[in-house]
Amino acid sequence: MSRRPWAVGGLLLSALLVCGCSSIGAKPWQRGVLAREDMLISSETLDDAMDDHMYFSKEASSGGRSFAGGGCGCN
Amino acid sequence: MQLKVKAGGIRRQLIAASCALLGAAEGRAQEAQTSDAGTAAAPGLTLDSALGYYQESGGRIRAIEPIVTVQQVQDNGDIWGLNLTFDSLSGSSPNGALTSNKPQTFATPSGASLKGVPQTYTTASGQSQTVNAPIYSVAAGTLPVDSNYKDQRLAGALSWNHSLSRLTSLTLGGKLSYEHDFISGSFSALVAHDFNQKNTTLSLGVNGEFDSLHPIGGAPAPGTDYALFQKTGAKTKQGAGVVLGLTQVMAPRWVSEFNLSADRFSGYLDDPYKIISVLDATGATTGYLYEKRPDSRLRRSAYLENRWGWERASVALSLRYMNDDWQVHSSTAQFRVRFWNSPKDRYLEPTVRWYQQSAAQFYAPWLSSSAAQLTYASADSRLAALSAWTYGLKYAVKYGDDSDASELSVRLELYRQTQADRLAAPPALQGLNLYPGLQALMLQIGWRY
Repeated sequence: MSRRPWAVGGLLLSALLVCGCSSIGAKPWQRGVLAREDMLISSETLDDAMDDHMYFSKEASSGGRSFAGGGCGCN
Repeated sequence: MQLKVKAGGIRRQLIAASCALLGAAEGRAQEAQTSDAGTAAAPGLTLDSALGYYQESGGRIRAIEPIVTVQQVQDNGDIWGLNLTFDSLSGSSPNGALTSNKPQTFATPSGASLKGVPQTYTTASGQSQTVNAPIYSVAAGTLPVDSNYKDQRLAGALSWNHSLSRLTSLTLGGKLSYEHDFISGSFSALVAHDFNQKNTTLSLGVNGEFDSLHPIGGAPAPGTDYALFQKTGAKTKQGAGVVLGLTQVMAPRWVSEFNLSADRFSGYLDDPYKIISVLDATGATTGYLYEKRPDSRLRRSAYLENRWGWERASVALSLRYMNDDWQVHSSTAQFRVRFWNSPKDRYLEPTVRWYQQSAAQFYAPWLSSSAAQLTYASADSRLAALSAWTYGLKYAVKYGDDSDASELSVRLELYRQTQADRLAAPPALQGLNLYPGLQALMLQIGWRY
């Protein structure tokens, strides 16, 4: 519980950064780096699937970046 | 049919579709983020696969998990995807009972008695059945685990990604998962729309899930005396969720995504294999109860991911906050850095993840025999207050001459979980390790073609 404000603060700070930038975005000819696979949000699909299976079975939280799902996790 | 296409940034578009296969909703923004030249994925087939090995310390759970995803881009731009996942689990699974200063005896899930003799009982359908009532014992000072735990899961998923217009796409997905004691079916639908010269993407996804539980030996009546073995037949649970997402290109080297999600599950949410110890004032075990959880759960979460890129490196930072009406609050932070070599045909990717959660309102490592009537209670350590660290390292080699090259990778992760907010041990249990925590190792080999 004591670290919850830390997480909320991080989210708010990031939201402020999003809103505070005067010129956000990139022109089509500026997207060379963004086009790289490692810059794509959640591009590590199988890695994340493996990790999420482990975390789902050992922790009370799941989802966030995706649908959480119910599952069994009886182990 | 072409087996593999190198042109047109096919990998980028396929990520969007593969997210639907694996239950993820976040692939929607890929086109907005990367469509610099307006290229569409060329028709072709790709394959993404991984083999995972997972082992918990102390001889607890061991899992082997192969995953294969095949995706086909059609001539009209539609993407079909098929995912197959198989899990094989074995080892020792904690049954929820507390470590004691005396040996303890339990029945395996198929058992109907704490005596090792054949037992006859009447099933929910009225039939008479005789079982051998296998039992197992754990030594004093040892965490009670069922060492005969075995489970196998086979899951298949199908997805379809279709462009409704130049700026709007639809992804539909369906998944079936089968275990001998658990069958699950789910579907998802996601619409994404690009704005602002494809710098911004808004998306809305919904999903539904229906689960059928067939626990070995029957589903225990929650909260009843373990020694009475009050069990019934199959149970069900169902749920629905929604995810609202915003993806924003912040700068030529920075992209950000923010998701808000909620889901609600109802039905039999108990773990049918978990019990809870009942202790007297001295700490002596007087009996056990089957756990009892509320029959509904509402979860909400906020998720933020940022990625920054440089010529030969990139960073991914994600933060998640989640809470539910079981009073679990959790925070997660994950940090990944990818370092490329000069020809960009190999990379090294260290990862660190921190996780912390508060306990569910009804979590209790044990119950007092003098307590009032039970409302809800579970000793499942997954519902305890805990924190966890994951340290990982991935090494990958690419074969080919462009960004859609084949990739061979190996990934190693160490997971360490520690329980917090520990209750003081009763007199008879002083000196025993009542909160053993968990350590696990995960090794994964991946191949993409």
